[in-house]
Amino acid sequence: MAVADTPVYVEGIALNIGWHDATKDLSELIFDTVTLALEDADQSIDAVDSVVLAAHDLVDGRSLSSMVTAPAAGAYLREEIRFSDDAAGALVGAMTKLESGRARRSVVAAWGRSSEYNYDQFSQTLFDPIYGRPIGLNEFVLSAMRAQLYLATDHHKEQRTRASLRRDEAARANPRALKSGGYQSAAPYPLVAADLPLWADVAVALILSVEPAPIRVIGAGQSSEPYALGDRNLRALQGLQLAAGRAMTQAGTTGAQLDVVEVDGLTLIDEAMGLESIGFAAAGHGLEQLADDPRCNPSGGGAAGYCPPAMGLVRIVESILQLRGEAGVNQVAGARRAMATGSSTVAGQTHTAIVVEAA
Amino acid sequence: MTELITIPGRWEFDYTYFAGEAASRFFGELKDSRRIMGVRCPSCKRVLVPARSFCDVCFQRTEEWVEVGPEGVVETFTILTAAFAGMPKPPVVIAYVTFDGADTALLNVLTGLDLSNISDAAHRLQARPRVRASFVDEPQGRITDFTFTLL
Ligand SMILES: [Zn+2]
Repeated sequence: MAVADTPVYVEGIALNIGWHDATKDLSELIFDTVTLALEDADQSIDAVDSVVLAAHDLVDGRSLSSMVTAPAAGAYLREEIRFSDDAAGALVGAMTKLESGRARRSVVAAWGRSSEYNYDQFSQTLFDPIYGRPIGLNEFVLSAMRAQLYLATDHHKEQRTRASLRRDEAARANPRALKSGGYQSAAPYPLVAADLPLWADVAVALILSVEPAPIRVIGAGQSSEPYALGDRNLRALQGLQLAAGRAMTQAGTTGAQLDVVEVDGLTLIDEAMGLESIGFAAAGHGLEQLADDPRCNPSGGGAAGYCPPAMGLVRIVESILQLRGEAGVNQVAGARRAMATGSSTVAGQTHTAIVVEAA
Repeated sequence: MTELITIPGRWEFDYTYFAGEAASRFFGELKDSRRIMGVRCPSCKRVLVPARSFCDVCFQRTEEWVEVGPEGVVETFTILTAAFAGMPKPPVVIAYVTFDGADTALLNVLTGLDLSNISDAAHRLQARPRVRASFVDEPQGRITDFTFTLL
Protein backbone atom coordinates (compact mmCIF):
# COMPACT_ATOMS: atom_id res chain seq x y z
CA MET A 1 0.00 0.00 0.00
CA ALA A 2 1.45 3.36 -1.00
CA VAL A 3 1.45 6.34 1.31
CA ALA A 4 -1.68 8.36 0.63
CA ASP A 5 -1.21 11.30 -1.72
CA THR A 6 -3.20 13.67 0.48
CA PRO A 7 -1.76 14.00 3.98
CA VAL A 8 -4.34 13.94 6.75
CA TYR A 9 -3.92 15.85 10.01
CA VAL A 10 -5.59 15.98 13.40
CA GLU A 11 -6.54 19.54 14.29
CA GLY A 12 -8.43 18.97 17.51
CA ILE A 13 -9.46 16.36 20.06
CA ALA A 14 -11.79 15.98 23.03
CA LEU A 15 -12.38 13.15 25.45
CA ASN A 16 -15.00 12.95 28.17
CA ILE A 17 -15.06 9.94 30.50
CA GLY A 18 -17.69 10.23 33.21
CA TRP A 19 -20.53 8.50 34.96
CA HIS A 20 -24.27 8.97 35.27
CA ASP A 21 -24.41 12.70 34.55
CA ALA A 22 -28.13 13.37 34.70
CA THR A 23 -27.64 16.98 33.58
CA LYS A 24 -27.11 15.87 29.97
CA ASP A 25 -29.05 13.66 27.61
CA LEU A 26 -27.03 11.67 25.09
CA SER A 27 -27.25 14.31 22.36
CA GLU A 28 -26.04 16.99 24.80
CA LEU A 29 -23.09 14.84 25.84
CA ILE A 30 -22.16 14.45 22.15
CA PHE A 31 -22.71 18.14 21.38
CA ASP A 32 -20.48 19.22 24.27
CA THR A 33 -17.70 16.83 23.26
CA VAL A 34 -17.73 17.77 19.57
CA THR A 35 -17.83 21.45 20.56
CA LEU A 36 -14.70 20.95 22.70
CA ALA A 37 -12.93 19.24 19.79
CA LEU A 38 -13.82 22.11 17.45
CA GLU A 39 -12.58 24.64 20.03
CA ASP A 40 -9.39 22.63 20.40
CA ALA A 41 -9.01 22.75 16.60
CA ASP A 42 -9.83 26.48 16.59
CA GLN A 43 -12.42 25.77 13.89
CA SER A 44 -16.11 26.47 13.52
CA ILE A 45 -18.65 23.89 12.41
CA ASP A 46 -19.02 25.92 9.18
CA ALA A 47 -15.55 24.73 8.19
CA VAL A 48 -16.58 21.07 8.51
CA ASP A 49 -17.93 19.20 5.48
CA SER A 50 -18.07 15.61 6.75
CA VAL A 51 -19.16 13.78 9.88
CA VAL A 52 -18.23 10.17 10.58
CA LEU A 53 -19.62 8.52 13.69
CA ALA A 54 -19.21 5.25 15.52
CA ALA A 55 -22.21 4.27 17.60
CA HIS A 56 -24.27 1.22 18.37
CA ASP A 57 -28.07 1.20 18.52
CA LEU A 58 -28.12 -1.36 21.32
CA VAL A 59 -25.64 0.63 23.41
CA ASP A 60 -27.55 3.85 22.81
CA GLY A 61 -30.94 2.15 23.29
CA ARG A 62 -32.19 4.13 20.33
CA SER A 63 -32.85 2.61 16.93
CA LEU A 64 -31.36 4.35 13.90
CA SER A 65 -29.48 6.14 16.63
CA SER A 66 -27.63 8.46 14.29
CA MET A 67 -30.92 10.23 13.58
CA VAL A 68 -30.92 11.24 17.24
CA THR A 69 -27.22 11.76 17.60
CA ALA A 70 -25.75 12.88 14.26
CA PRO A 71 -27.13 16.44 14.41
CA ALA A 72 -25.55 16.73 17.87
CA ALA A 73 -22.24 15.83 16.26
CA GLY A 74 -22.60 18.57 13.63
CA ALA A 75 -24.15 16.56 10.78
CA TYR A 76 -26.91 19.03 9.91
CA LEU A 77 -26.97 19.29 6.07
CA ARG A 78 -23.54 17.62 5.89
CA GLU A 79 -22.41 14.25 4.59
CA GLU A 80 -22.66 11.71 7.40
CA ILE A 81 -21.53 8.10 7.76
CA ARG A 82 -22.12 5.98 10.81
CA PHE A 83 -20.10 2.89 11.74
CA SER A 84 -21.68 0.26 13.95
CA ASP A 85 -18.24 -0.97 14.90
CA ASP A 86 -15.23 0.16 16.86
CA ALA A 87 -14.55 3.86 16.42
CA ALA A 88 -10.99 3.52 15.12
CA GLY A 89 -12.72 2.29 11.95
CA ALA A 90 -14.69 5.55 11.81
CA LEU A 91 -11.40 7.43 11.71
CA VAL A 92 -10.31 5.33 8.71
CA GLY A 93 -13.65 6.13 7.06
CA ALA A 94 -13.06 9.85 7.56
CA MET A 95 -9.48 9.50 6.28
CA THR A 96 -10.63 7.94 3.01
CA LYS A 97 -13.05 10.80 2.45
CA LEU A 98 -10.29 13.35 2.95
CA GLU A 99 -7.69 11.43 0.94
CA SER A 100 -10.08 11.04 -1.98
CA GLY A 101 -10.77 14.76 -2.05
CA ARG A 102 -14.44 14.27 -1.22
CA ALA A 103 -14.13 16.30 1.97
CA ARG A 104 -11.61 18.67 3.51
CA ARG A 105 -12.45 18.52 7.19
CA SER A 106 -14.33 15.86 9.12
CA VAL A 107 -15.69 15.39 12.60
CA VAL A 108 -15.03 11.87 13.88
CA ALA A 109 -17.01 11.11 17.01
CA ALA A 110 -17.99 8.11 19.10
CA TRP A 111 -19.70 7.43 22.38
CA GLY A 112 -21.23 4.87 24.65
CA ARG A 113 -22.93 5.43 27.95
CA SER A 114 -22.56 2.48 30.31
CA SER A 115 -24.79 4.13 32.90
CA GLU A 116 -27.70 4.05 30.42
CA TYR A 117 -27.57 0.42 29.31
CA ASN A 118 -26.82 -3.05 30.65
CA TYR A 119 -23.58 -4.38 29.21
CA ASP A 120 -24.24 -8.01 30.12
CA GLN A 121 -27.59 -8.04 28.31
CA PHE A 122 -26.12 -6.19 25.33
CA SER A 123 -23.20 -8.58 25.06
CA GLN A 124 -25.42 -11.64 24.75
CA THR A 125 -27.31 -10.15 21.81
CA LEU A 126 -24.07 -9.81 19.85
CA PHE A 127 -23.71 -13.55 19.44
CA ASP A 128 -24.92 -15.65 16.58
CA PRO A 129 -28.59 -16.54 17.20
CA ILE A 130 -28.26 -20.04 15.77
CA TYR A 131 -25.14 -21.51 17.38
CA GLY A 132 -24.04 -19.00 20.01
CA ARG A 133 -26.89 -17.39 21.89
CA PRO A 134 -28.74 -20.62 22.82
CA ILE A 135 -25.67 -21.70 24.82
CA GLY A 136 -25.58 -18.44 26.77
CA LEU A 137 -22.44 -16.52 25.84
CA ASN A 138 -21.12 -13.08 26.50
CA GLU A 139 -17.89 -11.45 25.44
CA PHE A 140 -16.09 -12.26 28.66
CA VAL A 141 -16.57 -15.95 27.90
CA LEU A 142 -14.38 -15.49 24.84
CA SER A 143 -11.86 -13.31 26.61
CA ALA A 144 -11.70 -15.89 29.41
CA MET A 145 -11.08 -18.73 26.95
CA ARG A 146 -8.36 -16.64 25.35
CA ALA A 147 -6.87 -15.87 28.76
CA GLN A 148 -6.94 -19.57 29.61
CA LEU A 149 -4.79 -20.32 26.57
CA TYR A 150 -2.52 -17.39 27.32
CA LEU A 151 -2.05 -18.08 31.02
CA ALA A 152 -1.51 -21.81 30.54
CA THR A 153 2.06 -21.47 31.79
CA ASP A 154 2.85 -20.55 35.40
CA HIS A 155 5.46 -17.92 34.62
CA HIS A 156 2.74 -15.37 33.83
CA LYS A 157 1.50 -15.22 37.43
CA GLU A 158 3.86 -12.63 38.81
CA GLN A 159 3.81 -10.54 35.61
CA ARG A 160 0.02 -10.52 35.61
CA THR A 161 -0.06 -9.09 39.13
CA ARG A 162 2.52 -6.43 38.28
CA ALA A 163 0.79 -5.55 35.01
CA SER A 164 -2.58 -5.03 36.67
CA LEU A 165 -1.00 -2.96 39.47
CA ARG A 166 0.69 -0.73 36.94
CA ARG A 167 -2.50 -0.47 34.88
CA ASP A 168 -4.43 0.68 37.95
CA GLU A 169 -1.71 3.16 38.87
CA ALA A 170 -1.67 4.57 35.34
CA ALA A 171 -5.45 4.90 35.31
CA ARG A 172 -5.42 6.68 38.67
CA ALA A 173 -2.77 9.11 37.41
CA ASN A 174 -4.61 9.74 34.12
CA PRO A 175 -6.54 13.00 34.55
CA ARG A 176 -9.13 11.88 31.98
CA ALA A 177 -9.85 8.50 33.62
CA LEU A 178 -13.02 7.75 35.54
CA LYS A 179 -12.30 8.48 39.19
CA SER A 180 -15.64 7.61 40.78
CA GLY A 181 -18.68 5.63 39.69
CA GLY A 182 -18.68 2.99 37.00
CA TYR A 183 -18.90 -0.74 37.65
CA GLN A 184 -17.42 -4.05 36.60
CA SER A 185 -19.04 -7.21 35.30
CA ALA A 186 -18.49 -10.59 36.97
CA ALA A 187 -15.27 -12.30 35.89
CA PRO A 188 -15.48 -15.83 34.46
CA TYR A 189 -12.56 -18.12 35.34
CA PRO A 190 -9.62 -17.60 34.82
CA LEU A 191 -10.26 -13.86 34.66
CA VAL A 192 -10.34 -11.86 37.90
CA ALA A 193 -11.79 -8.42 38.64
CA ALA A 194 -8.42 -6.71 38.13
CA ASP A 195 -8.38 -7.94 34.50
CA LEU A 196 -11.74 -6.41 33.62
CA PRO A 197 -12.64 -3.02 32.19
CA LEU A 198 -14.33 -0.32 34.24
CA TRP A 199 -17.67 0.44 32.56
CA ALA A 200 -17.97 4.20 32.09
CA ASP A 201 -19.72 6.84 30.02
CA VAL A 202 -17.43 7.77 27.17
CA ALA A 203 -17.71 10.48 24.54
CA VAL A 204 -14.80 11.23 22.24
CA ALA A 205 -14.34 13.48 19.20
CA LEU A 206 -11.58 14.37 16.81
CA ILE A 207 -11.28 16.89 13.96
CA LEU A 208 -9.51 15.49 10.91
CA SER A 209 -8.36 17.83 8.17
CA VAL A 210 -6.31 18.16 4.99
CA GLU A 211 -4.96 21.47 6.35
CA PRO A 212 -1.52 21.03 7.93
CA ALA A 213 -1.65 20.70 11.72
CA PRO A 214 0.84 19.52 14.37
CA ILE A 215 -0.37 15.88 14.31
CA ARG A 216 -0.44 13.79 11.15
CA VAL A 217 -2.06 10.37 10.61
CA ILE A 218 0.65 8.50 8.72
CA GLY A 219 -0.69 4.96 8.64
CA ALA A 220 -3.89 2.98 8.92
CA GLY A 221 -4.68 -0.72 8.59
CA GLN A 222 -7.69 -2.92 9.11
CA SER A 223 -8.38 -6.64 9.11
CA SER A 224 -11.24 -8.99 9.85
CA GLU A 225 -11.23 -12.50 11.32
CA PRO A 226 -13.63 -15.42 10.69
CA TYR A 227 -17.15 -15.04 12.01
CA ALA A 228 -17.44 -18.53 13.46
CA LEU A 229 -15.85 -18.40 16.90
CA GLY A 230 -14.57 -21.97 16.60
CA ASP A 231 -12.67 -21.03 13.42
CA ARG A 232 -10.52 -18.45 15.16
CA ASN A 233 -7.11 -18.98 16.61
CA LEU A 234 -7.93 -17.48 19.99
CA ARG A 235 -4.27 -17.29 20.95
CA ALA A 236 -3.03 -15.28 17.95
CA LEU A 237 -5.20 -12.18 17.13
CA GLN A 238 -4.16 -12.60 13.51
CA GLY A 239 -6.47 -9.79 12.37
CA LEU A 240 -4.78 -7.29 14.67
CA GLN A 241 -1.35 -8.46 13.55
CA LEU A 242 -2.29 -7.80 9.92
CA ALA A 243 -3.96 -4.45 10.67
CA ALA A 244 -0.87 -3.26 12.56
CA GLY A 245 1.42 -4.53 9.80
CA ARG A 246 -0.56 -2.63 7.17
CA ALA A 247 -0.54 0.56 9.24
CA MET A 248 3.22 0.34 9.82
CA THR A 249 3.91 -0.39 6.15
CA GLN A 250 1.94 2.69 5.14
CA ALA A 251 3.65 4.76 7.82
CA GLY A 252 7.07 3.43 6.82
CA THR A 253 7.80 2.60 10.44
CA THR A 254 8.70 -0.42 12.51
CA GLY A 255 7.42 -1.29 15.95
CA ALA A 256 10.80 -0.32 17.39
CA GLN A 257 10.36 3.23 16.11
CA LEU A 258 7.15 3.81 18.05
CA ASP A 259 7.41 5.94 21.19
CA VAL A 260 3.95 5.09 22.53
CA VAL A 261 1.42 2.35 21.91
CA GLU A 262 -2.18 2.44 23.08
CA VAL A 263 -3.68 -1.02 22.58
CA ASP A 264 -7.40 -1.64 22.95
CA GLY A 265 -8.52 -4.84 24.65
CA LEU A 266 -11.57 -5.89 26.63
CA THR A 267 -9.38 -7.30 29.42
CA LEU A 268 -5.81 -6.93 30.66
CA ILE A 269 -4.94 -10.24 29.00
CA ASP A 270 -6.45 -9.04 25.71
CA GLU A 271 -4.28 -5.92 25.99
CA ALA A 272 -1.18 -8.06 26.56
CA MET A 273 -2.02 -10.26 23.59
CA GLY A 274 -2.69 -7.14 21.52
CA LEU A 275 0.73 -5.79 22.38
CA GLU A 276 2.27 -9.02 21.12
CA SER A 277 0.14 -9.04 17.99
CA ILE A 278 1.28 -5.59 16.91
CA GLY A 279 4.88 -6.70 17.42
CA PHE A 280 5.61 -4.42 20.36
CA ALA A 281 6.15 -7.32 22.77
CA ALA A 282 7.68 -10.69 22.04
CA ALA A 283 5.31 -13.67 22.11
CA GLY A 284 4.49 -14.51 25.73
CA HIS A 285 5.92 -11.21 27.04
CA GLY A 286 2.92 -8.90 26.70
CA LEU A 287 2.11 -8.83 30.41
CA GLU A 288 5.75 -8.26 31.29
CA GLN A 289 5.88 -5.33 28.87
CA LEU A 290 2.65 -3.86 30.24
CA ALA A 291 4.15 -4.14 33.74
CA ASP A 292 7.54 -2.61 32.97
CA ASP A 293 7.38 -0.46 29.84
CA PRO A 294 5.89 3.02 30.40
CA ARG A 295 5.41 3.40 26.61
CA CYS A 296 2.69 0.72 26.66
CA ASN A 297 -0.85 1.90 27.43
CA PRO A 298 0.25 4.91 29.50
CA SER A 299 -3.46 5.87 29.72
CA GLY A 300 -4.23 2.87 31.91
CA GLY A 301 -6.16 1.10 29.15
CA GLY A 302 -9.48 -0.44 30.13
CA ALA A 303 -9.01 0.51 33.78
CA ALA A 304 -9.40 4.19 32.87
CA GLY A 305 -13.02 3.70 31.75
CA TYR A 306 -14.51 1.64 28.97
CA CYS A 307 -17.55 1.54 26.74
CA PRO A 308 -17.98 0.10 23.25
CA PRO A 309 -17.83 1.17 20.49
CA ALA A 310 -15.81 4.29 21.41
CA MET A 311 -12.59 2.73 22.63
CA GLY A 312 -10.44 2.70 19.48
CA LEU A 313 -10.92 6.45 19.13
CA VAL A 314 -10.16 6.93 22.83
CA ARG A 315 -6.85 5.08 22.31
CA ILE A 316 -6.11 7.36 19.33
CA VAL A 317 -6.88 10.52 21.32
CA GLU A 318 -4.70 9.33 24.22
CA SER A 319 -1.86 8.74 21.73
CA ILE A 320 -2.29 12.22 20.29
CA LEU A 321 -2.19 13.77 23.77
CA GLN A 322 1.15 12.01 24.21
CA LEU A 323 2.48 13.48 20.95
CA ARG A 324 1.29 16.92 22.02
CA GLY A 325 3.01 16.55 25.39
CA GLU A 326 -0.33 16.98 27.13
CA ALA A 327 -0.89 13.51 28.59
CA GLY A 328 -0.26 14.61 32.18
CA VAL A 329 1.56 12.53 34.80
CA ASN A 330 1.80 9.58 32.41
CA GLN A 331 3.50 11.64 29.69
CA VAL A 332 6.17 9.69 27.78
CA ALA A 333 9.01 12.19 27.35
CA GLY A 334 9.66 13.27 23.79
CA ALA A 335 7.02 11.05 22.19
CA ARG A 336 6.95 11.69 18.42
CA ARG A 337 5.27 8.63 16.93
CA ALA A 338 2.51 6.40 18.29
CA MET A 339 0.26 3.52 17.36
CA ALA A 340 -3.28 3.06 18.62
CA THR A 341 -5.56 0.11 17.98
CA GLY A 342 -9.27 -0.57 18.17
CA SER A 343 -10.97 -3.95 18.19
CA SER A 344 -14.64 -4.67 17.64
CA THR A 345 -16.98 -6.28 20.12
CA VAL A 346 -17.50 -10.07 20.03
CA ALA A 347 -13.96 -11.00 20.86
CA GLY A 348 -12.30 -8.65 18.40
CA GLN A 349 -13.45 -9.92 15.03
CA THR A 350 -12.37 -6.73 13.29
CA HIS A 351 -9.29 -4.71 14.10
CA THR A 352 -7.97 -1.28 13.17
CA ALA A 353 -4.49 0.14 13.76
CA ILE A 354 -3.53 3.80 13.32
CA VAL A 355 -0.09 5.41 13.35
CA VAL A 356 0.12 9.10 14.27
CA GLU A 357 3.15 11.35 14.25
CA ALA A 358 4.04 14.80 15.53
CA ALA A 359 4.45 16.66 12.21
CA MET B 1 -32.81 23.67 41.23
CA THR B 2 -34.27 21.62 38.38
CA GLU B 3 -35.17 18.06 39.25
CA LEU B 4 -33.17 15.86 36.86
CA ILE B 5 -35.36 13.22 35.29
CA THR B 6 -34.47 9.71 34.14
CA ILE B 7 -36.88 7.67 32.05
CA PRO B 8 -36.82 3.84 32.12
CA GLY B 9 -36.66 1.96 28.83
CA ARG B 10 -36.90 -1.62 27.66
CA TRP B 11 -36.71 -3.29 24.25
CA GLU B 12 -38.32 -6.63 23.65
CA PHE B 13 -38.71 -7.64 20.02
CA ASP B 14 -39.52 -10.91 18.30
CA TYR B 15 -37.39 -12.21 15.45
CA THR B 16 -37.54 -15.27 13.20
CA TYR B 17 -34.01 -16.25 12.28
CA PHE B 18 -33.65 -18.37 9.14
CA ALA B 19 -31.05 -21.02 9.93
CA GLY B 20 -30.71 -21.87 6.23
CA GLU B 21 -30.26 -25.21 4.48
CA ALA B 22 -26.82 -26.09 5.85
CA ALA B 23 -27.59 -25.35 9.49
CA SER B 24 -31.00 -27.03 9.15
CA ARG B 25 -29.31 -30.19 7.89
CA PHE B 26 -26.68 -29.93 10.66
CA PHE B 27 -29.41 -29.68 13.28
CA GLY B 28 -31.45 -32.43 11.56
CA GLU B 29 -28.43 -34.75 11.89
CA LEU B 30 -28.21 -33.87 15.60
CA LYS B 31 -31.88 -34.60 16.14
CA ASP B 32 -32.40 -37.67 13.97
CA SER B 33 -28.97 -39.38 13.96
CA ARG B 34 -27.13 -37.83 16.91
CA ARG B 35 -24.24 -37.13 14.59
CA ILE B 36 -21.99 -34.05 14.44
CA MET B 37 -21.45 -33.00 10.84
CA GLY B 38 -18.86 -30.84 9.18
CA VAL B 39 -18.07 -29.92 5.59
CA ARG B 40 -14.75 -30.20 3.79
CA CYS B 41 -13.65 -27.09 1.92
CA PRO B 42 -12.68 -28.05 -1.66
CA SER B 43 -9.86 -25.55 -1.59
CA CYS B 44 -8.13 -25.59 1.82
CA LYS B 45 -9.42 -29.12 2.61
CA ARG B 46 -10.19 -28.12 6.17
CA VAL B 47 -13.21 -29.78 7.77
CA LEU B 48 -15.37 -26.95 9.11
CA VAL B 49 -17.69 -27.56 12.05
CA PRO B 50 -20.57 -26.83 12.33
CA ALA B 51 -21.25 -27.68 8.66
CA ARG B 52 -21.88 -24.62 6.56
CA SER B 53 -22.35 -23.73 2.92
CA PHE B 54 -19.11 -21.81 2.33
CA CYS B 55 -15.55 -21.43 3.58
CA ASP B 56 -14.94 -17.77 4.40
CA VAL B 57 -11.16 -18.19 4.36
CA CYS B 58 -11.15 -19.43 0.73
CA PHE B 59 -14.43 -17.78 -0.26
CA GLN B 60 -15.52 -21.09 -1.80
CA ARG B 61 -18.78 -23.04 -1.63
CA THR B 62 -18.62 -26.31 0.26
CA GLU B 63 -20.52 -29.50 -0.64
CA GLU B 64 -18.76 -32.50 0.89
CA TRP B 65 -20.37 -33.41 4.21
CA VAL B 66 -18.36 -35.48 6.68
CA GLU B 67 -19.16 -36.83 10.12
CA VAL B 68 -16.81 -35.77 12.91
CA GLY B 69 -16.44 -36.78 16.57
CA PRO B 70 -18.32 -37.73 18.62
CA GLU B 71 -15.10 -37.51 20.62
CA GLY B 72 -12.76 -34.56 20.67
CA VAL B 73 -10.36 -32.53 22.76
CA VAL B 74 -10.85 -29.45 24.96
CA GLU B 75 -8.72 -26.65 23.48
CA THR B 76 -9.71 -24.04 26.05
CA PHE B 77 -12.55 -23.29 28.45
CA THR B 78 -14.02 -20.89 30.95
CA ILE B 79 -16.03 -21.40 34.12
CA LEU B 80 -18.83 -18.98 34.84
CA THR B 81 -19.05 -18.68 38.58
CA ALA B 82 -21.39 -15.69 38.79
CA ALA B 83 -24.89 -15.38 37.39
CA PHE B 84 -25.42 -13.35 34.24
CA ALA B 85 -29.02 -12.44 33.46
CA GLY B 86 -30.27 -14.61 30.60
CA MET B 87 -27.48 -17.15 30.93
CA PRO B 88 -27.48 -20.63 32.52
CA LYS B 89 -27.29 -20.85 36.30
CA PRO B 90 -23.67 -20.94 37.54
CA PRO B 91 -21.34 -22.66 37.89
CA VAL B 92 -21.20 -23.49 34.19
CA VAL B 93 -18.28 -24.68 32.09
CA ILE B 94 -18.15 -23.52 28.49
CA ALA B 95 -15.61 -25.41 26.43
CA TYR B 96 -13.99 -24.88 23.06
CA VAL B 97 -13.67 -28.37 21.60
CA THR B 98 -12.18 -29.69 18.38
CA PHE B 99 -13.90 -32.92 17.39
CA ASP B 100 -11.81 -35.74 15.95
CA GLY B 101 -11.67 -35.23 12.20
CA ALA B 102 -12.47 -31.50 12.40
CA ASP B 103 -10.22 -28.52 11.77
CA THR B 104 -12.29 -25.95 13.60
CA ALA B 105 -13.65 -25.90 17.13
CA LEU B 106 -17.16 -25.71 18.50
CA LEU B 107 -18.36 -23.98 21.67
CA ASN B 108 -20.78 -25.66 23.99
CA VAL B 109 -21.49 -26.34 27.62
CA LEU B 110 -19.44 -29.05 29.34
CA THR B 111 -21.36 -31.06 31.92
CA GLY B 112 -20.68 -33.83 34.41
CA LEU B 113 -17.56 -32.27 35.94
CA ASP B 114 -17.52 -31.79 39.71
CA LEU B 115 -17.55 -28.01 40.17
CA SER B 116 -17.61 -27.93 43.96
CA ASN B 117 -14.00 -26.74 43.84
CA ILE B 118 -13.41 -24.40 40.89
CA SER B 119 -9.61 -24.58 40.88
CA ASP B 120 -9.65 -28.38 40.99
CA ALA B 121 -12.10 -28.41 38.09
CA ALA B 122 -9.97 -25.90 36.18
CA HIS B 123 -6.91 -28.03 36.81
CA ARG B 124 -8.57 -31.03 35.16
CA LEU B 125 -9.60 -28.96 32.16
CA GLN B 126 -6.15 -27.39 31.82
CA ALA B 127 -4.83 -30.85 30.92
CA ARG B 128 -6.94 -30.53 27.73
CA PRO B 129 -8.92 -33.71 28.37
CA ARG B 130 -10.76 -35.73 25.76
CA VAL B 131 -14.52 -35.35 25.73
CA ARG B 132 -17.49 -36.71 23.85
CA ALA B 133 -20.77 -35.21 22.71
CA SER B 134 -23.49 -36.51 25.03
CA PHE B 135 -27.02 -36.00 23.75
CA VAL B 136 -30.08 -35.00 25.68
CA ASP B 137 -32.89 -37.56 25.85
CA GLU B 138 -35.03 -35.82 23.29
CA PRO B 139 -32.98 -33.78 20.82
CA GLN B 140 -34.84 -30.80 19.37
CA GLY B 141 -32.53 -29.95 16.48
CA ARG B 142 -30.67 -27.22 18.37
CA ILE B 143 -27.09 -26.65 19.50
CA THR B 144 -28.34 -27.39 23.02
CA ASP B 145 -29.08 -31.00 21.96
CA PHE B 146 -25.71 -32.06 23.29
CA THR B 147 -23.11 -31.10 25.84
CA PHE B 148 -19.50 -32.16 26.18
CA THR B 149 -18.73 -34.75 28.84
CA LEU B 150 -15.33 -35.99 29.97
CA LEU B 151 -14.33 -39.45 28.76
ZN1 LIG C 1 -11.26 -23.20 2.60
